Amino acid sequence: MLKYRMTSSLDGYMNRVTTVITGDGRTIVGLLKGFDQLINIILEDAHERVYSETAGVETVPLGLYIIRGDNVAIVGEVDEEIDKRIDLDNVKASPLAPIWIPG
Amino acid sequence: MVLPLSLLRTAQNHPMLVELKNGETYNGHLQACDTWMNVHLRDVIYTSKDGDKFYKIPEVYIRGSTIKYLRIPDTVVDLVKNEVNEVRRQQKDQQRSRKPMGRGGGPHRGGRGGSAAPRGGGRGRGK
Amino acid sequence: MLFFSFFKSLVGKDVVVELKNDLSICGTLHSVDQYLNMKLSDITVSDPDRFPHMLSVKNCFIRGSVVRYVQLPSDQVDTQLLSDSCRRELTEAKTKQ
Repeated sequence: MLKYRMTSSLDGYMNRVTTVITGDGRTIVGLLKGFDQLINIILEDAHERVYSETAGVETVPLGLYIIRGDNVAIVGEVDEEIDKRIDLDNVKASPLAPIWIPG
Repeated sequence: MVLPLSLLRTAQNHPMLVELKNGETYNGHLQACDTWMNVHLRDVIYTSKDGDKFYKIPEVYIRGSTIKYLRIPDTVVDLVKNEVNEVRRQQKDQQRSRKPMGRGGGPHRGGRGGSAAPRGGGRGRGK
Repeated sequence: MLFFSFFKSLVGKDVVVELKNDLSICGTLHSVDQYLNMKLSDITVSDPDRFPHMLSVKNCFIRGSVVRYVQLPSDQVDTQLLSDSCRRELTEAKTKQ
């Protein structure tokens, strides 16, 4: 019983807006259309949010993306209500540091 | 639910951008791919990490494990859905046509095995 | 398997996961798998001014390979049991050889 509830898959995030933090420190937001065991991820209508210390967040449209699992650090389910309330133009922060990617 | 490798397979003959872990990018048409995400591109434009060097290369084979991400045309995701729906439809048709055969089909039904083979199973994960 | 079992016993407890990019995420451990990938719910980032990247995220999946540390609720961990299980696993591994 418990085993089924434990399943640590991304199933619950399917077709939801998700934020993917990648191993090279990028923040990519898009609709989760699929994934596999290796955490390869499909994002539809993906946008990169480019953070900078001197200017607000720049949103760069990317389109349809397959992100290789090796390059995935976090997959976050976006609460769209909260997201709408964030004024990205006034958010300033240094970009995330990369995570060392083996191989 | 679309599997990343099915999407990639559907993107065959489409243009795409491949960025490697070392920051190099390769723009080209996907000729072939496999279940390790190894990709074979044709008519490629290579861009160096800092975007200061560009080369035209007729053909490139990229080992999947070196890839960071792939950017593919938006329309490809709809093609996979069509593909999946098509497979489902075929499966249903097969089931429907199989039912009346249920009685007395006997050993002759063995021949149907062939037509049943290309359904679902092979679709899931590339080749 | 020891750490997998151990983290399974912490499901439902609050943990702080520090990533290799210095991001620290605090949340309730929702699930864990054999790779120590973890799902956290109701998360907050420890330093939101420095890391506003996840402000609109409440639930997240963290790839086990990017985790540097996991801060555990010390009152919820039976260290005696943990060291016993560790020894047991070692002896089991040895007898198998």
